[in-house]
Amino acid sequence: MPVRPVLRLPEAVLKEQAAPVPVVGGTTRELAVDLVDTMRASPACVGLAAPQIGVGLRAFVVDVTGHRKAGSCHGMFVLFNPELLLAHGPIVAREGCMSVPDLTGDVSRATRVVVRGTTPEGDDRVMQVDAFEARAVLHELDHLDGVLFLDRVGSASSLFPRRVYR
Amino acid sequence: MSHYAVTAIGADRPGIVAAVTGVLMEHGCNLEDTSMTILRGHFAMMLVVAGPQTSSASDLEVALSDVAAGLDLVVAVRAMDDTVPSSPEGEAWTVAVYGADRPGIVHRVTSTLAAVGANVVELTTRVIGTEDRPVYAMVLGVTLPPGTDGHAVSNDLSDLARELGVECSMHPSEADIL
Repeated sequence: MPVRPVLRLPEAVLKEQAAPVPVVGGTTRELAVDLVDTMRASPACVGLAAPQIGVGLRAFVVDVTGHRKAGSCHGMFVLFNPELLLAHGPIVAREGCMSVPDLTGDVSRATRVVVRGTTPEGDDRVMQVDAFEARAVLHELDHLDGVLFLDRVGSASSLFPRRVYR
Repeated sequence: MSHYAVTAIGADRPGIVAAVTGVLMEHGCNLEDTSMTILRGHFAMMLVVAGPQTSSASDLEVALSDVAAGLDLVVAVRAMDDTVPSSPEGEAWTVAVYGADRPGIVHRVTSTLAAVGANVVELTTRVIGTEDRPVYAMVLGVTLPPGTDGHAVSNDLSDLARELGVECSMHPSEADIL
């Protein structure tokens, strides 16, 4: 399956409400594979939502395996039509987004989260995630509602140029 | 297009940003990176603007002079060198220093950082507490040169903090790209 280009601002799809995945079947499984392949193509990437690859459907992939800030770690997982059931214990941390190059921002997000969705196999899945995995899930959930981290930075002084690494 | 750094400082009042940016817009300038702050009623802003090649820094400064006079601002415009990288390479760390106010805290801390080649990219200091017991608080954003041992720098700063009788902590502030 192809690695798709990751769309960046000002692509309109990034600011739109994504539509529910109607039926989990062949096409949606292809979407899951594309999300995984595209995420894998960027080594630092820990999550990707369907709108970021130009698909206005409610689907994302997350994988925080090996991340130094991870607490819970469910490995790589794709969820369709994810719903946030519970979120508490907010902390502020600096985050960036593949779709918003050159900027990072301090964003407050819950550290303990329960999310429910459908797997690519069509099974219902309820997951309890915390720490960095919770941040990743919430960041991807935001993408499905057209919300970017820029919409959540605490104040004008919470926005930073992304540092240059080599 | 050429880039210019426009700085304006003066007593804060409503309308400064609108007035300055209005003149820049009339002269075909596009605002790119900007920052402003107010310290105890004193306003300062810096704008990086892209302007037509036909205008020069001094043209823009003259164009801004009426607004500057009207709002009692000091305005300066300088041409920028577009070949200079916009941010230094390296690892981002945040340093917090606080404690009883005494002269030289900023100088000593930043000298220790400069000795390892660290670049201070953000700096905020405030005097808080009461008049008879002032507390100095400082937060720095620094970029350590690639390969620098941040924990060793942190130890150096802890030694200095002990000598100065203040508290100091340092932690990585790398953003996670999601």
